[in-house]
Amino acid sequence: MNAVFKSLRYAWSSRRAWWFTATARTRARFARTALGSFWLGLSNLFSIAALALVYGTVFKVQDFPHYVVYLGTGLVIWNAIAAALSSAPILFEHNAGHLKNTNLNPIFYTLEEWAFQVQSFVQSFGLVLVVLSFYQRTLFLHLVAVGLLPLLNLILFLYWLPLLVCLLGVRFRDLFQLVPIIVQLLFLLSPILYEKKSLGAMSWTADLNPFYRILSPLRHALIQGEFKADQSLLILAVNIIGITISLFLLDRQRRHLPFLV
Amino acid sequence: MNVPEPFTRTYGHEPFNLLRNAEDHPVNRSPVLELRDVSLRIPVFSMETRSLKRVLIRSVTGGALRKSGSGAEIEALRRISCTIYHGERVALIGHNGAGKSTFLRLVSGIYQPTTGLFRAHCPVFPMIQKSFITSPDLSGMQAAKGHYLLMHGDLRGFDAFIEDVIDFSGLGDFIHLPMKGYSEGMSARLLFSMLTASQHDCLALDEGFGAGDARFFERAQRRMEDFIASAGTLLLASHANELLRQFCTRGLVFHQGQIACDAPLEEALSFYHERCL
Repeated sequence: MNAVFKSLRYAWSSRRAWWFTATARTRARFARTALGSFWLGLSNLFSIAALALVYGTVFKVQDFPHYVVYLGTGLVIWNAIAAALSSAPILFEHNAGHLKNTNLNPIFYTLEEWAFQVQSFVQSFGLVLVVLSFYQRTLFLHLVAVGLLPLLNLILFLYWLPLLVCLLGVRFRDLFQLVPIIVQLLFLLSPILYEKKSLGAMSWTADLNPFYRILSPLRHALIQGEFKADQSLLILAVNIIGITISLFLLDRQRRHLPFLV
Repeated sequence: MNVPEPFTRTYGHEPFNLLRNAEDHPVNRSPVLELRDVSLRIPVFSMETRSLKRVLIRSVTGGALRKSGSGAEIEALRRISCTIYHGERVALIGHNGAGKSTFLRLVSGIYQPTTGLFRAHCPVFPMIQKSFITSPDLSGMQAAKGHYLLMHGDLRGFDAFIEDVIDFSGLGDFIHLPMKGYSEGMSARLLFSMLTASQHDCLALDEGFGAGDARFFERAQRRMEDFIASAGTLLLASHANELLRQFCTRGLVFHQGQIACDAPLEEALSFYHERCL
């Protein structure tokens, strides 16, 4: 536990540095583009529009505005999870030069990546909510009233699960190939394009799907304006355990990292 | 790179008494680095150990394949024992592969010892970094800001820092342009100016550290001399005897991962030239 506290203390003391480098990465990503980071939200909106049109027609959706909001909120959350996981296996590989030549605590790279993912998510999530508010005006109200804890759970989840993948990825190179496949499969298995009740007898697959367990409470809070306290607190506890374990493992792996990358 | 991690940094478990004999070491100086029987084995991770397929096969065959392809280890440092005191200027001597750079990485916390006891009483700044922490798409100004935040945790004093960096590197307004457009020399000048703009309690320096183009070299050398002179404690790995004589008073001769000689500099250099070459 001492190692975990040390890591957390370092994370706090270096917060301005990793937040700055993450922000700088976002700026660099959209340097010389006319719309800048607006592209983050726009790319999500294009996907939502295309998928809503196609699958709304395929599924013969009766209430189209509801379907757009359902799909839109689900997709933007899913994309955040998918982006964080997809970049995780090669995170340390990307920072190999620094791991070999500086004594920076490796938690720095994980926090910078997390901050980058969170900043990207917040920007795209905000824009998507603004547009979806044309279909359901209560989205922002629900977010503020009952959505903050589910949102916090998502943000915490975006740290520790990618960190675990990152620690595995630095040892097993196959993971870089495997993760996108798993993410794609889980997307199809998760009730994002369709509703959970459409799964019928197979709905247990959604219950066992950890990504859906994170996504669903936030989407439910946004759309229904209902706060499931027991569920959210349970997920918060899982997140705290996940963070503790992943930081502990990072500390244990730290001595090997310069030789693994 | 030092947003402060807690100090004292200790690796190993048993308490130990370094000053076994008070006459061995000057007692009026406090130790900065303490190493006792420190060894470092570097694992060589092969495809065998990094492939999920191999791991899965190994698990279902009960580990029968483990022996055929297990990863090797290189013993990079062997049973290193020494104490470095505050204010000492220590030369690390030895031919390529003898263990000098590994020792620098170990004492600065990049590597952790496999066995033995190592204690660092202050942060050791490794001057072996050869790239920026930020993306080359960003400007030199942002790279400097990122570096400063890492060193200090906030931007107090940044204005003076960046003024010095711009002035010394000679980048001028180029500091605001993306670094991917810089020449190799410009990048090296910027990095050098940033890294030598602060003072450090303990500096671990590899002579291979570059300083950019020839015109810059002379100025860089003077700044480097001031920089080294300002360090509280110095560890300098070099093949250049003159450089070592200029800055160091004590020499550690490395040979095959061990300290073959720990003596005043001239003695250590003589030992190296007579026995190790």
